Amino acid sequence: MKLVLNCAEVTRGDWRLSAQGIFAEGIHLVSGDVGSGKSTLALMMAGLLPAASGSVIREQVSLQMISFQFPEYHITGTTVNEECASWGLDPATILSSIGLVEKGNCDPFRLSRGELKRLHLACVLANQYDLLILDEPFSSLDVCEKQRICSCLSGRSRGITVMFTHEQTIFPRVKHIWEIHEGRLRYCGSPPDGLLNWHHAPLLIKNLIAAGKTPKNITTDDLMEAACVT
Amino acid sequence: MRDVRLRTGSATLLSLIAFYSITGAIAAFVWWLLFTPNFRLVWKNRLVLPSVVLIGLFSGILEITGGGGLSYFFRMMVVILIGAWLLSGQKRGEFLDLGCWLFGSRTGFELGMLAEMALQNLNSLIIDFDRIRAAERMKGVRSGIRSIVSVGRVLIHWTLLRAEDTAELLAMRGYVRGGTCVPAFVREKGDLIAAVFAICAAIIALIPVSAFFILS
Repeated sequence: MKLVLNCAEVTRGDWRLSAQGIFAEGIHLVSGDVGSGKSTLALMMAGLLPAASGSVIREQVSLQMISFQFPEYHITGTTVNEECASWGLDPATILSSIGLVEKGNCDPFRLSRGELKRLHLACVLANQYDLLILDEPFSSLDVCEKQRICSCLSGRSRGITVMFTHEQTIFPRVKHIWEIHEGRLRYCGSPPDGLLNWHHAPLLIKNLIAAGKTPKNITTDDLMEAACVT
Repeated sequence: MRDVRLRTGSATLLSLIAFYSITGAIAAFVWWLLFTPNFRLVWKNRLVLPSVVLIGLFSGILEITGGGGLSYFFRMMVVILIGAWLLSGQKRGEFLDLGCWLFGSRTGFELGMLAEMALQNLNSLIIDFDRIRAAERMKGVRSGIRSIVSVGRVLIHWTLLRAEDTAELLAMRGYVRGGTCVPAFVREKGDLIAAVFAICAAIIALIPVSAFFILS
């Protein structure tokens, strides 16, 4: 099971983004500045945006999902319960896991952005996909919820998970790190070695590396462990 | 046709004559065939075919209930084709230039800005629609009457959200009325000829044939 970006390129006027690489099973983190083209690449990888040149090949990927940055696009139910059911899930189980049991009969549009994002991610992560693309999964979430999502993601046993984010503090355990730099997708490598090539690495990680305390991975626990090394 | 003044003027004139009579619709259609990329526009603009289907539906009802549906369908079809051509060449800021050129920096600026906002919203709606459909497909939701409701809800939600954002932005920047804009227009070879022919089409459509020819 893999996703291959074969010199895939998107152009928009003078702006250009080119991507080359192979995404195998595991969690891939793609970082980049705001406006660097993360969402565009996510759409292209999901097959929703055709490549101007090159190709995107999905091998043995039969079930895929892209989670848009704004969860409103995914709403099809008129109540929160209906929304859960539209994902083929039991509303009671999902809502109790995210603490929204009392909102079951509410209109999903009446939820706050944070609540809606929680609901949406809970539904997405409750299903198994061969290819799961998450565009800014941590936007609108508080620290606790980010941690919860990270542990859910770290627990994903199979499939390709590609996470596009400019998050700087909380991450799941990742297998590969990529970044978009100057209109090009660049493979940094797998942690811990990949952290040394990561230009967009958060300041904390950069400081740890500079102090000779390269973390094993990028989860909060890994960073704490590295920071505590004497 | 790059000059937005000539493009809008021609489109307005041709739409009016097309709606006014069958003769006008034929004249406007011939003009559309001659002076625009014609059918290539139809395939490029994703709003044309749904509009035609909708008009077809209304025309069918009209034909069954009171008659005149076929004439209405043809006339409206031409209006849609002219509209598709008008929007196909649209560049950002053109209608603001046109508004200021026509009505000055107060009323013209406001009308131009309204037109720009409307077009921006139209483009956003198309993008939103694509995203919603993509999300539905991945969820396994089938297209149909039931999905129209959910798609409509999301589209309305985003439209209201954008309107609120725009209103807040304008208020924050202290917008009250009018503004400053120095209109600039670019004209290309053939713009004037096409506009002159649009006027000719209107004359042919509006003045009775008997005014040109002595009929026995």
